Amino acid sequence: MKYKDYYAILGIARSASADEVKAAYRKLARKYHPDVSKEKDAEARFKEVAEAWSTLKDADKRAAYDQLGRHAEGEDIRPPPDWSRHFGAGDGAAAGFDDLDLSDLFAAFGGGAARGGRAAGHTPRKGSDYEAAVEISFDQAFHGAELELDFGVLEYDEEGTARRVPHPVRVRIPRGVTDGQTLRVPGRGGKGLRSGAPGDLYLDLRVRAHPRFRADGQDLYIDLPLAPWEAVLGTSVELPTPAGKVMLKVPAGTRAGQRLRLAGRGIARADAAAGDLYASVQIVVPTHASERERELWRELAGGSGFDPRADLGQGGNS
Amino acid sequence: MTPETVDALWLDQSGVYSLAELAAMSGLAEDLLRELVGYGALAPVESAAPAWTFGASCVVVARRAQRLRVDFDIDTHALAVLLGFVERIDALEAELRALRARLPR
Repeated sequence: MKYKDYYAILGIARSASADEVKAAYRKLARKYHPDVSKEKDAEARFKEVAEAWSTLKDADKRAAYDQLGRHAEGEDIRPPPDWSRHFGAGDGAAAGFDDLDLSDLFAAFGGGAARGGRAAGHTPRKGSDYEAAVEISFDQAFHGAELELDFGVLEYDEEGTARRVPHPVRVRIPRGVTDGQTLRVPGRGGKGLRSGAPGDLYLDLRVRAHPRFRADGQDLYIDLPLAPWEAVLGTSVELPTPAGKVMLKVPAGTRAGQRLRLAGRGIARADAAAGDLYASVQIVVPTHASERERELWRELAGGSGFDPRADLGQGGNS
Repeated sequence: MTPETVDALWLDQSGVYSLAELAAMSGLAEDLLRELVGYGALAPVESAAPAWTFGASCVVVARRAQRLRVDFDIDTHALAVLLGFVERIDALEAELRALRARLPR
């Protein structure tokens, strides 16, 4: 595995006190945490800093890490022969280290899980929870979908030896999920130890934008462009909805900006009433008019008493 | 071999959980959860009831609290304050999304 210099990442000396380690971490966490950072590679930097902190803040892990010796950043290393047994990170068979990251080694520590057979041991341990970000299309969110997910996870056996294994999950996403929602998949997290129950899987959903429909919770919005005569005289238009086309009656005298409501044609979900679809009216004019059309418009202008700027007034009191 | 298909469950709306379940799902200790309720950062369905129950939206808040606590290494009081600000950010983002949905393209 590749060596990472945790002290260098935190910008501290190898002899730094626990307080100095903590202060260094807090400063860098504030600087690089994606929720508050303005730095351009914040997420990657934060991950690095957090990994360094989680190893160096614990006295046992820090001692174990120091025992790996000093190496160049990125150098390929293997823990010394006795390392695993001494620090109880499992059997330490050489083959196991190739596909692990440095951080995987230390993740096994703590909580009584490691330390080999000396682990206090027969109580079952619930598996860890996993969290994954999942992106789905508008259609998948609207209708529901069955997804096949597969991500690599760390699993620990009885002795605490870590292995990277694939973790395939087939999930049924219920219909009507919205962007930013969290779903829980019970029992599909990490394996439990000693017959402990498995952990859960949490899915952070992102729903891709649709080219035409905009979602606001369970309500949907779609732009409805109308020609001026359609808005004045009223008309019937064919409107797309996620569930198919419908005919919408546009009343005479419809104004720009009005929202025509199609009840129940928004996003539906099993445990709540369906939202509505709103057709958001825009009056659009042709950019080019033939001479004949311009003649007609001039006639209309001359024959109409309509004043669109009546409310703007001439200034001063009447 | 892929295991059989399982249903993903709603988290934000329905479902009620005990304090112990909330602790298990968030990774926060029960004592810490009690403190957060005391600070007003988490609201049980009925605070006067002898055994608290929490709506599923509390699971989202509790999980976020755990992440913030670990990421920023902060004490409970600061955490409660931080959760309040995050709630405001969530509300603002929701309002933005709603307004953007109504704007024509």
